[in-house]
Amino acid sequence: MRELFEKAFVAPLGRLADQFAGVVPGLITVALVLIVGGMVAAFARMVIERLLRWGKFDRFMAQTELGSVIHRTGIFRSASDFAARLVQGALWLLFILVALNALDTEMTRNLVVRFVNYVPDLITAGLVLLLGSLISHFLGRSALLAAVNAGWSGARLIAGGVRLLVMSLTVVVALEQLRIGRTALLVAFAILFGGVVVAGAIAFGLAGRDLVRDWLQAQTRAEGRKEEDFRHL
Amino acid sequence: MERFLPDDLLARLRETGEVDIVAGIPSYNNVRTIGHVVKAVSAGLAKYFPEQRSILVNSDGGSGDGTRETVLGAEVDHDSLLLVSHPVKPVQRLSTPYHGVPGKGSAFRTIFEVARQLNAKACVVVDSDLRSITPQWIELLVRPVLEREFDFVAPYYLRHKYDGTITNSIIYPMTRALFGKRVRQPIGGDFGFSRRLALVYLERDVWGTDVARFGIDIWMAATAMGEGLRVGQAYLGAKLHDAKDPGSDLTDMFRQVVGSLFGLMGSYEKIWRDVKGSEPVPLFGFPFEVGVEPIQVDVERMIRSYRAGVKDLQEIYGEILEPETRDALGARAAESTDAFHIPDALWVHLIYEFAAAHHQKRLDRDHLMQSLVPLYLGRTASFVREVRDSNAQAVEERIEALCRIFEAEKPYLLSRWEPSKRGEQSYARTV
Repeated sequence: MRELFEKAFVAPLGRLADQFAGVVPGLITVALVLIVGGMVAAFARMVIERLLRWGKFDRFMAQTELGSVIHRTGIFRSASDFAARLVQGALWLLFILVALNALDTEMTRNLVVRFVNYVPDLITAGLVLLLGSLISHFLGRSALLAAVNAGWSGARLIAGGVRLLVMSLTVVVALEQLRIGRTALLVAFAILFGGVVVAGAIAFGLAGRDLVRDWLQAQTRAEGRKEEDFRHL
Repeated sequence: MERFLPDDLLARLRETGEVDIVAGIPSYNNVRTIGHVVKAVSAGLAKYFPEQRSILVNSDGGSGDGTRETVLGAEVDHDSLLLVSHPVKPVQRLSTPYHGVPGKGSAFRTIFEVARQLNAKACVVVDSDLRSITPQWIELLVRPVLEREFDFVAPYYLRHKYDGTITNSIIYPMTRALFGKRVRQPIGGDFGFSRRLALVYLERDVWGTDVARFGIDIWMAATAMGEGLRVGQAYLGAKLHDAKDPGSDLTDMFRQVVGSLFGLMGSYEKIWRDVKGSEPVPLFGFPFEVGVEPIQVDVERMIRSYRAGVKDLQEIYGEILEPETRDALGARAAESTDAFHIPDALWVHLIYEFAAAHHQKRLDRDHLMQSLVPLYLGRTASFVREVRDSNAQAVEERIEALCRIFEAEKPYLLSRWEPSKRGEQSYARTV
């Protein structure tokens, strides 16, 4: 009976204890890495936010569409806050990877390798988004100012359209870089973009025909038009 | 110094030797008017400076309408000029295409370089679309340089009360408040200047900027004042010119002229910071009354443009203007067309805030200048409505009153010039 008890309960418990003892140092390491990582990430966030504020990062980001998006979310205090939290998150992720690596299992090793290989794509996609949002914001403003100074109605709509178009292209390129739903994304974008163009053409043709007629008449009508002949300079 | 004159022109200048006066005429497709301008300049040089060696230089931007041929072929009837003494040397004439960015500034650069090469003592430049130029203009612009040691002579014209609105509402009051000199037409376009000033102009590396285009006039005037050189004015009577240059777009012109002035504020900050008030500058010539051509202005279109700007450009104005200025502009936009009015104090604060934003590069400078255009049109509409029934003297007094506010509010400009913590907070609120 005693032999049976030892075989049935004590031996497995012993093996479990041995296995647990083998894992415990790893778990302690994981816990320590996560605690230290959390502290480092929080400290880095604080330092980076201050540095970015000092370097007028908010002003730079105000020139980008991304800056406007960050502001509109209402989640982040500023672009500096967003960037600092992004860095904090990245550091957290890094420390989680280090912690997983400390467990030294095949699964965690594979996970770490795959993630490290993915990092360049993540960085490239981030840069594409930043650049695209910068261009989108600039072109949107250029369109807005040109439309206002040309006396066109719906200037903000035109500017919004330009921004949306450039940002859509940017997001597609970024997701392509991340290899997320490549085919589906391209097809969806092509359908969407084509649809927008067709819808715009129909809308302009139907609803805007009076506008176009008036505009063409104004361009070709020389008589009766109020001409300004003063010089501004 | 970069050599940019073509070899054939340099060879021609070597043949010419030295001259006392260089008269420059920039042109681009001005065949209708340039013949008259060339005759007036040639007659002026022959009649008033018969003892001096002079050359007329046409700096052309690639005209395809025979402008250059007209310059070289224009005949002056010396008998009809009733000359007291005939010119010792006939006025030489040359026409050359200029190189660089297409624009009046690049054309002037070639004229400056010709003056340097020929060791000229005095230079005069006049627009090629003038219909009211007379030979005496040349005397009035050149003699103060040649005989009184003035470095820069600006024109003083009689203009219609609605004409020259950028000059009246921004350029004149601003240059006066900044440099303390009451030069009434700093961007008149027709100037006399010394060799010394021509060399200063040539030293500056501005020929890839808006100075190479419409910015040249304000740049020349502000540089003369900023360098502390002797500045005068010449009374030229009425300025009548050809119909508006079809290639000149208000937004571009505005951006180039006002943007150049804002840019110069950075260059001459040390000079204008300490200037208080202003003083008159000597006026040469005999002031007389002349009739000016009537002008049509579409006030309602300007007010519409102002309202559209205030409505659609709020986000941009949020980065440039103080909240109280924005609120005041919004209130004016809500007024009925009959009651529409932009007061002087609001206009002055607005311009100073734009100048500060330009200096601090708060946003792209082209965008900044473009966003000022609707507000400028609103101010112009307000001014036109205000002086509709005023005579020329009353209008001049009205502009004088605006200038005094620009001068009085200069501390406001200084307080906004450098980015302050308050400004940063205000910026953060709007973004």
